Amino acid sequence: VGQGARPPLSQPVCVLADSRGIAGGPEVLSCLRLRHGVTAQVCSLGACDFIVSNRMAVERQTLSEISSSVNRGRLAERVRALQGSFDRVCLIVEKDRTKPGEVSRVFQRSRYYDSTLAALIRAGTRLLFSSGPEDTAALLAELARVEQRKSNAIAVPTEVKGQRHQALQFYLTLPGVSYIAALNMCHRFSSVWHLVNSAVEELAAGACVSRPRAEEIFRCLRYAFHPDLLPHRPAGGAKSSGL
Amino acid sequence: MMAAPMEGTPVRIGAAPPYGHVIVNERWRGSAIVQGFQGKLKAIFEEGLGLVDFHLSDHSCVLYVSESGLVAGNGYRRKLFQFRKASKLHGIIVVEKTRLSEQYFPAVQKFVVFELGLTLLPVASQSEASQLIAQLVHDESKEESRNPFLRKKAAKLCEPVVLALVQQIPGVGRVKALALLRHFPSIHQLSNATAQQLEAAVGAAAAQSVRGFFHTSLAPPR
Repeated sequence: VGQGARPPLSQPVCVLADSRGIAGGPEVLSCLRLRHGVTAQVCSLGACDFIVSNRMAVERQTLSEISSSVNRGRLAERVRALQGSFDRVCLIVEKDRTKPGEVSRVFQRSRYYDSTLAALIRAGTRLLFSSGPEDTAALLAELARVEQRKSNAIAVPTEVKGQRHQALQFYLTLPGVSYIAALNMCHRFSSVWHLVNSAVEELAAGACVSRPRAEEIFRCLRYAFHPDLLPHRPAGGAKSSGL
Repeated sequence: MMAAPMEGTPVRIGAAPPYGHVIVNERWRGSAIVQGFQGKLKAIFEEGLGLVDFHLSDHSCVLYVSESGLVAGNGYRRKLFQFRKASKLHGIIVVEKTRLSEQYFPAVQKFVVFELGLTLLPVASQSEASQLIAQLVHDESKEESRNPFLRKKAAKLCEPVVLALVQQIPGVGRVKALALLRHFPSIHQLSNATAQQLEAAVGAAAAQSVRGFFHTSLAPPR
């Protein structure tokens, strides 16, 4: 093996897809795999629709969802949560599909829609516009490839079993840790003890997270718990009676 | 009032429109976009803005790619590339995506977002662009704390997180977790507790579970 050999440029890229999103669009996944040669792994991501690199989450919204005020609270909550654990958040705005026989409706642009776009841009969200599931797949593949060129590609096995699964759940509970950061932790630290006793630099390198995020994790692991500072649980709950 | 720009300056730095105003490149005077500002936004026309079409604030601006610009070929690319090289301003590229130009849209989006790293927003017409630009200017003047998509950086207590972490250890519920934390107040201390110390706190079975959780080999160290 030659020294300093670079990985070949045509290395396949990997994308993680949330298991709940599958029902809404199986064609995105099959298109990613068949047309773009992307390794698309279905996981229980919960917080977002797709993860395309060690630092980027992608949320998929239809044009009608994003232009309806009913969804704003939920969308805002999701975007804020993603900012909490990803350095980059991207939103793909997809044109609504029309059912067979249905005349495609003309999109009525509203002030509300414009103000949502303006606020998303100001919050640092990247926006992409898609004409449908196939287009969305192409955009996801392109995002993953751009991130790969910047050395942020997902590079660990995406399946976890047994003991590693318990560790994964523990890592996911840490503040600011995304699903991919937790996966990196599972595969790059020899034990949970090893991670807990690592320095900030080792945490950042192993989990592939920024230094501020690694510092947040480090602080949490060394935080001295004080029972009096726990928020009070609602009294009279079903669980408290049994104790 | 303002220093005359140097000949051939691609972008003028430091153009800051006052509240409720937008600085508009002279070439847009009389256009449908500017007409649409009426009642929402006051336009200040200036020459010498170079590549920029609209200055929204001192740090963001709009470059407009029209339907005809898209259909005509790749000329818009040079303009956008030049802007990207010349300026640190946040460039929002507003693209006229119509029935006629939509076939070019994926290529423009790829170029603007992936290659240049700029923001792109499609509009269907100049009057839509007018509405959008007015909204962008309006949003620029809003306080960041009112942005629903920005995370508030509130200092939160770590107690619930630490408790939840300990409860992730198999066989450890809330009661045992609280007992463990009474003896070993941080995850770091808990991970370094000896079997004897753990046994004294929560009994042999739970102690073994805790030791096992922290020390089971997961992956070969790099």
